Amino acid sequence: MASEKLYQPPKWPERLLRIVCKDDLLEEIEGDLFEHYQDLRTRNSRLAAAFSYWFHAFNFLRPFALKKIGQNSTQLIMYKSYFKFAIRGMWRQKASTAFNLIGLVLAFTVSGLIYLHINQELSYDKFHERAEDIYRVAWMNENPQTRTPHPIAQAMVADIPEVETAVTLSPIYGPGLTKVTIPITLEKSNITFEEPDGFFADSTFFDVFDVKFIEGNPETALQTVNGVVLSQSMAERYFLGEEAVGNRLSFGPSTDMLEVVGVVEDFPLESHFHFNFLISYMTLKSMRFNDAWLSWDDFGHFNYVKLSAGSSAQNVESKIPEFAIKYLNWPEEDLESLRQGEVKFALQPITDIHLKSNIRWELEANSSITYLIIYGVSGLFILLISVINFVNLSTARSAQRLKEVGVKKTLGARKGQLLTQFVFETIMISYAALILALFSIRGLEAKFNHLVSGNIDTDLILTTQSLGFLITITTLTAILAAAYPSIYLNALKPGDILKGAGGKKIGGARVRMALLGIQFVAAIIMISGSLIISDQISFIKNKDLGFSADNLVMIDIDNWEDRSEIIKNRLRQIAGVKEASTISNPPGGQFNQHSLYAEADPTRSIDALEIFVDKEALAVLDIELKEGRFLDIGLAADSAGTSFVMNETAIKELGLLSGVGENIVWNFNEKLIKGQIVGVVKDFHYQSLHTPIRPLIMMIRPQSYNKILVKLDNVDFTSSVSELESAFAEIYPELKFKYAFLDQEIDEMYQEESRTLLLTTLLSGISIFLSIAGLIGIVLIAIKQRVKEIGIRKVLGASIGEILMLVNTRFILVGLVSTMIAVPITFSLMQNWMGNFTYQNGISPSIFVFTTIGLLVLIFVTNSLIAIKTTRSNPSLALRNE
Amino acid sequence: MKGTQLGEFEELVLLIVGVLHPEAYGLNIREEIIKQSNRKVAIGAVHSALSRLQEKGFLKSDLAEATHERGGRRKRLFSITAEGKRALKRNQELRNSLFNQIPEIALKGMNFSGI
Repeated sequence: MASEKLYQPPKWPERLLRIVCKDDLLEEIEGDLFEHYQDLRTRNSRLAAAFSYWFHAFNFLRPFALKKIGQNSTQLIMYKSYFKFAIRGMWRQKASTAFNLIGLVLAFTVSGLIYLHINQELSYDKFHERAEDIYRVAWMNENPQTRTPHPIAQAMVADIPEVETAVTLSPIYGPGLTKVTIPITLEKSNITFEEPDGFFADSTFFDVFDVKFIEGNPETALQTVNGVVLSQSMAERYFLGEEAVGNRLSFGPSTDMLEVVGVVEDFPLESHFHFNFLISYMTLKSMRFNDAWLSWDDFGHFNYVKLSAGSSAQNVESKIPEFAIKYLNWPEEDLESLRQGEVKFALQPITDIHLKSNIRWELEANSSITYLIIYGVSGLFILLISVINFVNLSTARSAQRLKEVGVKKTLGARKGQLLTQFVFETIMISYAALILALFSIRGLEAKFNHLVSGNIDTDLILTTQSLGFLITITTLTAILAAAYPSIYLNALKPGDILKGAGGKKIGGARVRMALLGIQFVAAIIMISGSLIISDQISFIKNKDLGFSADNLVMIDIDNWEDRSEIIKNRLRQIAGVKEASTISNPPGGQFNQHSLYAEADPTRSIDALEIFVDKEALAVLDIELKEGRFLDIGLAADSAGTSFVMNETAIKELGLLSGVGENIVWNFNEKLIKGQIVGVVKDFHYQSLHTPIRPLIMMIRPQSYNKILVKLDNVDFTSSVSELESAFAEIYPELKFKYAFLDQEIDEMYQEESRTLLLTTLLSGISIFLSIAGLIGIVLIAIKQRVKEIGIRKVLGASIGEILMLVNTRFILVGLVSTMIAVPITFSLMQNWMGNFTYQNGISPSIFVFTTIGLLVLIFVTNSLIAIKTTRSNPSLALRNE
Repeated sequence: MKGTQLGEFEELVLLIVGVLHPEAYGLNIREEIIKQSNRKVAIGAVHSALSRLQEKGFLKSDLAEATHERGGRRKRLFSITAEGKRALKRNQELRNSLFNQIPEIALKGMNFSGI
């Protein structure tokens, strides 16, 4: 038996038992377990034996076997006393405890919320299992766009081996390429909804994107003419939980046109596009109404490809020019620029679209990584400021505990124990702050979502990842705050402390000043940064757009059958209506573009965006006519759509001196339309100020009008709108009255900026509050240490002014140095941000001057207020001791 | 106060200690319980009962020599004290007396319903 080899049981349970079990029971417990394990191993596998061993070991965690909690455990007594000390200390200094808590709760709340927001923004489109292999084919020229020709998708699958599958989709656009809602009806229950977000899509949609089918078969869905796949939420609206597949839906006026072939789960919020229904491309092809639209010449479709796992997008991208040239029926010079890479088909990773792509025809408004960086940096700064406050205040408090430390050290406390005690205290405060922060994050969910128009779910804060993040920062904060004081206090000799020699001064003034400097830097960056943002945004909002959006009501119409003159005449009868105009695309929307050239110089072809307008548009939008005349439907050439009005940029780019009278050839959907320029308007910002003004062509084309713009007198809008509605109902009885105010729509283009402004203002407000509080804390320490010095100086005849000077110098210096560090950083950061705008206000130096002066004044006032109290007091009081 | 009562599982352990005398210790008591009563018990449960019985004065224990198969650890051997013996007796008498007081008819009835 003795020679027999013994099996070694797992180590961990034994260690655990050693910690928690009574010492006198340990030997027999271990012995029994050990013997039991030997027995198990001879009969069972190692895993089974280990499992049973663990089970039995845990079974010993019963009251009888556990160490008695109480008098006999020195460890526990120690922690109990730490706890007591911490509570007493916190209680004695209620103000500083409360301040520490508030600061940390604020910082943790802010960083928690920002963390959730950033996390969500970064997770866009990652729900597809192979998201990293999915790319969108975009067209990159001087005015890049998301849309490319329909045949490219399947041609890529056929010709480029790395392309596994591909899908084409196309949102349902109205005239003038504005997104429209379609009335969809279920006849049998007479349910109609205006459905937005309808797409035509290839049957390969489900091969490229991960879509979960609730009803129907992904293999066959979208392969039939008139087949439609509904999102779950849309199916719910019509079928209320009943089976949807097999039913027919009316598509606008086409009764029972669509056959439901599938119901799929909605895309999650974190997707760069969402659909309510997908109609098969077969449906479009069967109509054959517009063959050119499906050809290689029409850059009008969204194409997505899925590459085989692990293949390089760059590689594929480089193959595209040679491949595309086979199909493209372009003049040689255009093909050459494709070969040269001056224009190209780019593969945009689908996961980058939401944050990095902001080109023409984005399916939904994307966000921008710049803003995430601004949020993230602000969050970090607030955290930094708050942690520094915490460190500084704990250091200050430690000075009052010199005697305690001295006694402890004399009685034999080791360095590690002192550190443990301090960490224990800071951990208590910071974890209390964390718990409070968790509640406040919960409570602020709705407010925060409203603020950033986000949709974060604060339940996610309880996931391991987020909690891990918060616990890490909390623990780091606690350790940082405890490390400095304990190192400093440990270095003192206990004898000196108790004699009173070493304890007069709280050391580390330099460290504190440096930390204060860091706080200042962070605060200056945030304050001047948000001032710059606010400057730029008010610059944009106040910039003369070249047209007026005030008091303009915009009503949706469908004017395929022309009723524009009738409705305008009817609207003019309403009191309060100044003028009405019908147009295809209102300013601030999206615009279609086609190429055109002056007959005089056919080689100089430009792309011009287009708006179809009427005579009244000029007055309603208050656009300035520079030359010639505006359009008039009463003139034959104008009503035929062969009279053009262009903007200055177009004339310039065409290389014409004066545009009026020039003949223009306009390449409209493969038809060459020849016309004459009859007028030139001054450039106006019909697109957002993020983009420069591009060439624009305007002409009359009633069937393309889809908005009425109504200019109102500046009176009661609500009554006018209700009158507009009844007039509208007379002329367009089949349409629903949908209206918006143009100025609001235009403001919405700068929503992201306004939101960022609000958030950065709020965050810099918090940072100011926290830095001032930190400053006060430090000044209090500094003054306290100099009470005697000030007393002596006063006795020797120093004036209050001199003393204030003395007290302030160092802080002012730190303030100046911080400014010098912060200004260049802010400048380069904000310069970078400005790059988002075509029209930049520039960074005015006065902002930095203002911030610096503000900071210095703040330092001076804080310092002086605190110092004056000391200087006013009788010096004998300060000097009487000892 | 405590020490007078003997729980059901305690009684079982106490009896087994007697059965295994003089070689009764935690692990073999557990094995014997499993063998005799077909009950699954954890080692910890047995130790817990043993420690309670010792506290109540029904058991006494001594440490034996260290052995190789226990990794050099000593085992604690248990034996019943006079107090323990009395408690067992008392329990047995009580049970017998109660059993004898059950009217014949009740047992018959039980039989009937059992069949």
